[in-house]
Amino acid sequence: MGFRKVAELDALRDGGVTGVEVDGVPIALFRMGNEVHATHGICTHALAFLKDGYVEDGTIECPLHQGVFDIRTGRALCAPLTQDLATYAAKVEGGAVFVDLDSASESPSDAGPLEEVQVAENTGGSSLPLVIAGAGQAAAAAIRAARAAGFSAPIHLVGAEPHLPYERPPLSKEALGDAFDRASACRLPPADVAALGVTFHPGVRVTAVDAEARVATLSDNAQIPYGALLIATGGTARRLGIPGDDLPGVHHLRTLEDAEAIAASLASARTVAVVGGGFIGLELASAARARGLKVVLLEREGELMSRLLPPALGAAFRRLAEAHGVEVRRDVAVEAITARDGALALATTTGEIFADTVLVGVGLVPETALAALAGCEVAGGIVVDAFGRTSVDGIWAAGDCALHHVPLDGRRGRLESWRNAEEQGAAAGRSIAGDTAARTEKAPWFWTDQFGLNIQMLGVPGTGNEVALTGTDGAAGAVYRTLADGRVTAVIAFSDAAAIRAARAELVSDTPFDLAAHGARLLAPQETNPTPIDPEEDDMSASPDVQFAKKYVWPQEGLSIIPDWVYTDETVYQREVERIFHGRTWNFVALECEIENPGDFIRSNVGPTPVVVARAEDGTIHVFENRCAHRAAEFCRDLSGNAKEFVCPYHQWSYDLKGNLVGVPFRRGVDGKGGMPKDFKPADHGLKQLNVTTHRGVVFASYADGMESFPEYLGPEVLREFEATFDGRKPKLLGHYRHSLPGNWKLYHENLKDPYHATLLHTFLVTFGLLVAGNKSLMLADPSGRHGVMASAKSDTTHIDADKKKEMRAYKEGMTLEEPRFMDFIDEFDSPWSVTMATIWPNLIVQREMNTLGIRHIVPTGPNEFIMKWTMFGFEGDDEEMTRHRLRQGNLMGPAGFLGLEDNEAIKFVQDGMLGVPGGEHLVKLDPGTEAGTADTLISEAAIRAMYRHWRDAMGIA
Amino acid sequence: MLNPSSANAPSRDDLIDALLLKAEVEAFNEAYASALDEQRLADWAEMFTVNGFYNIISRENYDRKLPVGLIYCENRGMIRDRAFALEKTAMFAPRYLRHMVGNLKVAEAVDGSIDATANYVVFQVLFDRPDATIHQVGRYIDRFVREEGGLKLASRICIYDSLLIDNALCIPV
Ligand SMILES: Cc1cc2nc3c(=O)[nH]c(=O)nc-3n(C[C@H](O)[C@H](O)[C@H](O)COP(=O)(O)OP(=O)(O)OC[C@H]3O[C@@H](n4cnc5c(N)ncnc54)[C@H](O)[C@@H]3O)c2cc1C
Ligand code: FES
Ligand SMILES: [Fe+2]
Repeated sequence: MGFRKVAELDALRDGGVTGVEVDGVPIALFRMGNEVHATHGICTHALAFLKDGYVEDGTIECPLHQGVFDIRTGRALCAPLTQDLATYAAKVEGGAVFVDLDSASESPSDAGPLEEVQVAENTGGSSLPLVIAGAGQAAAAAIRAARAAGFSAPIHLVGAEPHLPYERPPLSKEALGDAFDRASACRLPPADVAALGVTFHPGVRVTAVDAEARVATLSDNAQIPYGALLIATGGTARRLGIPGDDLPGVHHLRTLEDAEAIAASLASARTVAVVGGGFIGLELASAARARGLKVVLLEREGELMSRLLPPALGAAFRRLAEAHGVEVRRDVAVEAITARDGALALATTTGEIFADTVLVGVGLVPETALAALAGCEVAGGIVVDAFGRTSVDGIWAAGDCALHHVPLDGRRGRLESWRNAEEQGAAAGRSIAGDTAARTEKAPWFWTDQFGLNIQMLGVPGTGNEVALTGTDGAAGAVYRTLADGRVTAVIAFSDAAAIRAARAELVSDTPFDLAAHGARLLAPQETNPTPIDPEEDDMSASPDVQFAKKYVWPQEGLSIIPDWVYTDETVYQREVERIFHGRTWNFVALECEIENPGDFIRSNVGPTPVVVARAEDGTIHVFENRCAHRAAEFCRDLSGNAKEFVCPYHQWSYDLKGNLVGVPFRRGVDGKGGMPKDFKPADHGLKQLNVTTHRGVVFASYADGMESFPEYLGPEVLREFEATFDGRKPKLLGHYRHSLPGNWKLYHENLKDPYHATLLHTFLVTFGLLVAGNKSLMLADPSGRHGVMASAKSDTTHIDADKKKEMRAYKEGMTLEEPRFMDFIDEFDSPWSVTMATIWPNLIVQREMNTLGIRHIVPTGPNEFIMKWTMFGFEGDDEEMTRHRLRQGNLMGPAGFLGLEDNEAIKFVQDGMLGVPGGEHLVKLDPGTEAGTADTLISEAAIRAMYRHWRDAMGIA
Repeated sequence: MLNPSSANAPSRDDLIDALLLKAEVEAFNEAYASALDEQRLADWAEMFTVNGFYNIISRENYDRKLPVGLIYCENRGMIRDRAFALEKTAMFAPRYLRHMVGNLKVAEAVDGSIDATANYVVFQVLFDRPDATIHQVGRYIDRFVREEGGLKLASRICIYDSLLIDNALCIPV
């Protein structure tokens, strides 16, 4: 093919890089004056475009992990690169740039750092072999460096794993996706093993070391005399050390096999619990979310990575995860795991959580046993100097098993990172080869890829450092600097490679960091949220989501405070419609018995949106918007009925029972004039149709495609209660109530997630002995927090102990009903509960108040009002007396119910209380022992908090 | 009886009887409305017979022959319980109500009981709003019987047209 014109010279910035595509191959063009160089456009490390990189002194630095290539030769110059970049011949003629793709330099894997190896006579003073315990990344780096420095004695690489050294970072990233190629992670390919003169002992451990005699003993009983021993044994994933941490489905991650097992388990899981909120835990959570799974992350401490980072930074990582749908729970320790009902139940300090898969990322236990055996000094890691030498002559150590040779943030510690394994490995390798020249220290550098961001950290942050922020907290472009005495100790950049580059100078600068000059602001130590910004000051170019996130910020105290705007703000309400009612939810629309026969329909709502629920001739159920595709008229006006088709009265457009447009009057015009455009296709102009599912005779609709099944949506615990009420008998319609409530719709959910009020507001219950504080009861929240079930069991009221009575102000002995039989409970359900109120997100309450059964359907009409439509039912097969019993018991609930009217009034009072007071807040602090979730006491607001944790997530409110 | 298209014009006595009966029912309804307006619920309960039936049902349910009612009492015991519970235990904001009853139609049945229908309107005033709202509009379908103390309701079905209730119905209609 030869040279092809690929660009005009003028289009290339001098000293910069430009990306072009030639025959589908991305090419990076580098202009240096009137000269142009061409390389392949993608980094050899991971998928990163070099056109976004940084050109300096004839090199290109990759934007993703800062790999550096020589532009002219494509040589990989530093970690994490192991492969050179393909280069292409390029020339400039007549102001145009030409590239010859056929001229590609050797396939990068054949070239590479090996060229450096000149096998010079340098054995570091001994011709005895180098034995390396541990075939990991530090080992690979040591081998390359030793050979490069002229080390010529044999090298024995002894590895407990059956693999040649490979890098682990992809294990929690690419390896959990679909297309992962094991070979791409290899750090010492077979060709290099041969070229570098390495004898590899796969699947073998070094079991003992005689440091005097300098002999290493292997698990296959071989004994190898050594001149130098490098301990590069890394470490193992820390176990939880609790009952059940070895159950199938509970995974730890350190090896390729671990990663493959996790990838396989994610492929079939629906819900994932990640234990541990460190980098690996977050990456695992990110991988699970990328597969659309439901993820709960449990962190034992009060903030993520609190032993590594200042709290404000831990919070930034947390919010990033939360913004991507991970439910992060803090201050939660897992105490046991059991297999139950095909899922794993995690008993935690704040309640039970269910998941299909448990991924544990609670840190690393360094493998130092061998070093200790050899007599090396070990202090939470093997003690080494800058050359990797241990306290024992002839023994070196490097990588995750070794301490860093300079104190970090005042303490000696390990740097469990890719770069550290490379550098310590290389330092040991050089030192073993006799090269003791000091190298300039580079600041520790670390990267993590999560939730679509590439996050890099340069330097060593102190947990007590101040944190300065530029950009939006927790979002791409955010740059955090940790400061000690005003000087930068580390820079953490969210997808901003340039900031890391610039930070190199800041880290060595003697002058304090100038906040104002950088437009940075200090985050308060405990600040978990950026200060709200006035909408007026908003950057108008910011996306609406960003503007929203800036304006609506949850109070710092966390879930125990609910700001009034949650209930009163119009913008928040509009977003609820969009994100919740029209989002990934199943919304109740009807009971199947209301649309028994083909043609039967009822008017209903999904959120505020009017819909029609109809049964078509073929028996299928359809839900579509009650809004004509022509001029938006709400065409169906009857509450229920039977129809053959729907005709909009305004212009007679007609639709079939599935919502398809079938007729448009005068579509072709009259006398060849007027009418619809020729290309008008009725098929494209049907009514907006929703996805429909039914469960046990109850019909649900969703605007979202690809929703999980309804049982999955509910989760096993709430499903159990749903199915206890809809127990397979066919529901029979008994009638409706409709009322409008002057309050925010969420208050209704809260009312039924608030068992605290039951005996306090509803004195009727107590007065007549229907519910007493001692009754057996439960306030269940599903793991997501959105659904809940308030349940209680009626007990004998004849012996209530005196203490309990005293506490209940309304209990009045001697007050009895003339007709108490309406409160009888006929035990018709397979359930330990006589009363259950299931709050099913977002618009359904299933009432099983003993034998009076009802659906309450929430139809919000604005932030300050909603309509409640009740559908009362019994079952086919009820005799007349049973029906009457249900009707009599119905006096408890509904707009005039003994209990119902009180709840309605209470909700109105709450809304009234908010309207006159700007900037107010609610207090939901009861039962601090359970942060959010199922409570084992009724004096708890934990289920309300759980709901708001979900709500914030769904709304994108940090 | 008051049917003007009746073939045989009613006698004057019949007319007077009918007017007296109507006046009696009207007086009953006025007393009933007063008891509710003044929130004398115990008195209200006594206006029913021992087996008196009381149901407040939406027109939607009534027309579709669905039985569910807002308040559903099968006898005076239940009606008394309702009155007692509302007075002693129920929590709701204080309010004033006015029950207006009109368009009364009365017919005497063969067994001596009296069938009647009337329209009703209930105004509600909350203390922090200037307006009286129409809380409910509907129709009574009644059966009266005569007992020692006068007329008593053997059945009152309140069929309300205003399907969408404003929050809560605290006082009967
Ligand atoms: C899932 C995961 C993700 C990571 N992501 C990142 C990241 O994004 N960024 C980053 O900077 N770092 C990351 N790291 C850290 C980085 O991978 C490690 O710091 C690095 O692998 C350490 O290399 P090493 O050679 O010291 O140890 P290892 O690579 O663990 O190698 C040690 C080897 O020694 C073997 N061994 C142990 N004892 C013996 C014995 N007695 N005899 C013989 N063999 C023995 C072990 O089986 C193991 O194969 C990640 C680590 C993991 C596990
Ligand atoms: S992708 Fe280029 S350095 Fe990692
Ligand atoms: Fe309640």
